[in-house]
Amino acid sequence: MLTLPHRPLRIAAAITLAAAIAALIALVLWAILAAATGSGSSASRIDIPHLLRMTSIQAGLTTVLSLAVGTALAWSLNRLRFPGRDLVVGLFASAIVTPGMVVAFGLLSIWGRNGWINQLSEALFGVSIGNPAFGLSGILFAHVILDGAFAARILLARLDAIPAARLKTGQSLGLTAWQRFAIIDWPTLRGTMPGLAAIIFLLAFTSFPIVLLLGGGPANQTLEVAIYAAVRQDFDLAGAVRLAATQIAVCSAVILAASAMGPIPTSLGTSAAPRWRDAAPARLLQALVLALCILGFALPLLSVLFDGLASGLGSLLARPAFWWAAASSLLIGAASAILTLVLAMLLAMGRGATADGPLRTLLGMPAYAYLAVPAIVLSLGFFLLVRQLGIAPATAAPFVVILANSLLALPFAMATLGPPLEAIARSRGKLIRSLGLSGWRQFAAVECPLLGRDIGVMLALAFCFSLGDLGVIALFGTQDFQTLPLMMFRALGSYRSNDASAIAAILLIGTIIAFVGLPRLVERIANAAR
Amino acid sequence: MLRVENLTFAHPGQATPYVFSFVADSGEITAISGVSGSGKSTLLDLLAGFLEPTGGTVALDGRDLLPLPPEARPVSLLLQSESLFDHLSAARNIALGLPSRTEKAQTLQRVADALAEVGLEGLGDQQAATLSGGQKQRVALARTLLRARPILLLDEPFSALDDETRSVIRDLVRTLTTRHGWHTILVSHHADDVEALANRRYVLESRRLSPSGETKK
Ligand SMILES: Nc1ncnc2c1ncn2[C@@H]1O[C@H](COP(=O)(O)OP(=O)(O)OP(=O)(O)O)[C@@H](O)[C@H]1O
Ligand SMILES: [Mg+2]
Repeated sequence: MLTLPHRPLRIAAAITLAAAIAALIALVLWAILAAATGSGSSASRIDIPHLLRMTSIQAGLTTVLSLAVGTALAWSLNRLRFPGRDLVVGLFASAIVTPGMVVAFGLLSIWGRNGWINQLSEALFGVSIGNPAFGLSGILFAHVILDGAFAARILLARLDAIPAARLKTGQSLGLTAWQRFAIIDWPTLRGTMPGLAAIIFLLAFTSFPIVLLLGGGPANQTLEVAIYAAVRQDFDLAGAVRLAATQIAVCSAVILAASAMGPIPTSLGTSAAPRWRDAAPARLLQALVLALCILGFALPLLSVLFDGLASGLGSLLARPAFWWAAASSLLIGAASAILTLVLAMLLAMGRGATADGPLRTLLGMPAYAYLAVPAIVLSLGFFLLVRQLGIAPATAAPFVVILANSLLALPFAMATLGPPLEAIARSRGKLIRSLGLSGWRQFAAVECPLLGRDIGVMLALAFCFSLGDLGVIALFGTQDFQTLPLMMFRALGSYRSNDASAIAAILLIGTIIAFVGLPRLVERIANAAR
Repeated sequence: MLRVENLTFAHPGQATPYVFSFVADSGEITAISGVSGSGKSTLLDLLAGFLEPTGGTVALDGRDLLPLPPEARPVSLLLQSESLFDHLSAARNIALGLPSRTEKAQTLQRVADALAEVGLEGLGDQQAATLSGGQKQRVALARTLLRARPILLLDEPFSALDDETRSVIRDLVRTLTTRHGWHTILVSHHADDVEALANRRYVLESRRLSPSGETKK
């Protein structure tokens, strides 16, 4: 069919961009490889098989637990109707942008050695429960909080999109709660599971701040943390490169397997009206699941807010270094959000303008770049590249951090903008084409207003990712150039935990404001232009 | 005169191709009927340029249309639904029918005129999503007026409308076709639409068009 508007410019721009990103990644990989062969294999303490085993176990457990929790939570949210439901759904949706450091910190303050639970338990029963927030259990806990909520949000969108006719049929047949799940819900969810599992596995496999904070030493490292330790602490570049190569190999294998199993839907759907309530016991279970999840998710965050605002905020605000770090964080966040928007828009528009299978795959590739080449590896590659070019890392640092953060946000940005752009092209392509609208008019009159909210969501995602980033800045930060997460990390390292908790609270508040506010703001702007 | 001769096309997997031949005159409504799945929408897609035929000719007053891409064809479309952009106002939808360089004042004037011609004075600012089915079709017709393309393709344009609205829109199509000298091709499986409107009738059967009934002027 020739129903897609003819847009050679869009396609050409997207191809150029995809090629540029591919070239950049290739350059980064080349820099890593060159460093590896150049420095020879010196005596290194790194035990790759052990790391691989530990990381795989951790990521595997995270995946299974997160999918289980996510499914239970999505099921409960899909069934229950109560005041404030939208707020709760929004709370879980925010998991994707909540900085890992903040969650880890909140977990410590509740479940840690000096956390609320321990204090309570010692005051009441005189026993300590130890430190479940530390080590593997802590890592799993933090991952499941974030990734379980992420899974729930995506699965909920699938459940809410089940056609009303199917529900009516089921209801008139009098299906039990369990039959309803098995016959109506599960077939809908099943298709999403492999892709979702792959994403969660990768997120856990490459997890950085949570493992750094809660891992408690080499026993529970991820490859990502090991790379950081090799570069920053042991100056073992050859070891770091071997780790990076391993990491890339595993991640690429997982991505290939996942992309063979189908697409990963990430768009946020809207909830349908209530139609069909399950029997009382099932509803009780749903309420219980929901209550537990809200507690598990919200308590650590509330405690971060509480601790942070109660202690040390004043002295932190009085320090110029804080304001410099805050300004760097804001600038980097804003710049990388805008860069991400431009990159994702160009790629998604080019992709939406062609029906050619291989070309569409090609234009979708840049989105996967980051998943195969995660933050630390990308950052290490840039680090080596910059050194090789004879530029001082401090000079290049801001640009590298902005660029790397944009690449990291790109898959989520494309998953947000791609589907609505494609939907417009497919449903109104005939009309646009027969009216002979120019590309600019298509953009200004049709796409821009329809995408307003999605653009806002995308900007918020990219901004929050970059605001919470520790992986990229960890290698590039200096005494003069630091962001809030890096400052928080350093405060923790030097046992200034008051500063750390104050920064954590500020990061959390910034994330919430951006995540809630940006989509509304951009939507309003887009609507005003109509 | 629009002359279609041996326009040949097959969807993937179809062994026997469609072979369409018919003529349509200026200021006349040519009706094409046929059972569901007989290929009516396929014919319109070929005329609009959304599908590429494997053979045959389509000529308007002797000018070959087949080399033209959809946006350059002298064709306007009116579909059963999805003819409008729901998020834009009626007026903005209509204005999309004018070249983008058109002056603002002129655009406003021409949109207002077109709205008046289809009987929707004053409704320009209403968002398309909130218009009734009949109003939507009128807005789409108003845009067709601005585009001033000599061929109008209608694919089941009345099927979502109630009887009363139907006859109003039918009359509007009739009037506009005569007034502007359009070659209007109407696809419908409603016998009364065809009865009320058609100057010339064809039936699509076994992948061929055959004239049916008498031609009325
Ligand atoms: N893209 C396609 N690929 C393969 N077959 C197609 C395609 N589009 C249509 N067909 C087939 O071509 C035949 C004609 O379809 P068409 O949509 O033209 O029918 P129609 O006469 O408009 O029917 P209706 O009155 O239901 O709208 C049908 O059998 C349909 O299944
Ligand atoms: Mg049809």
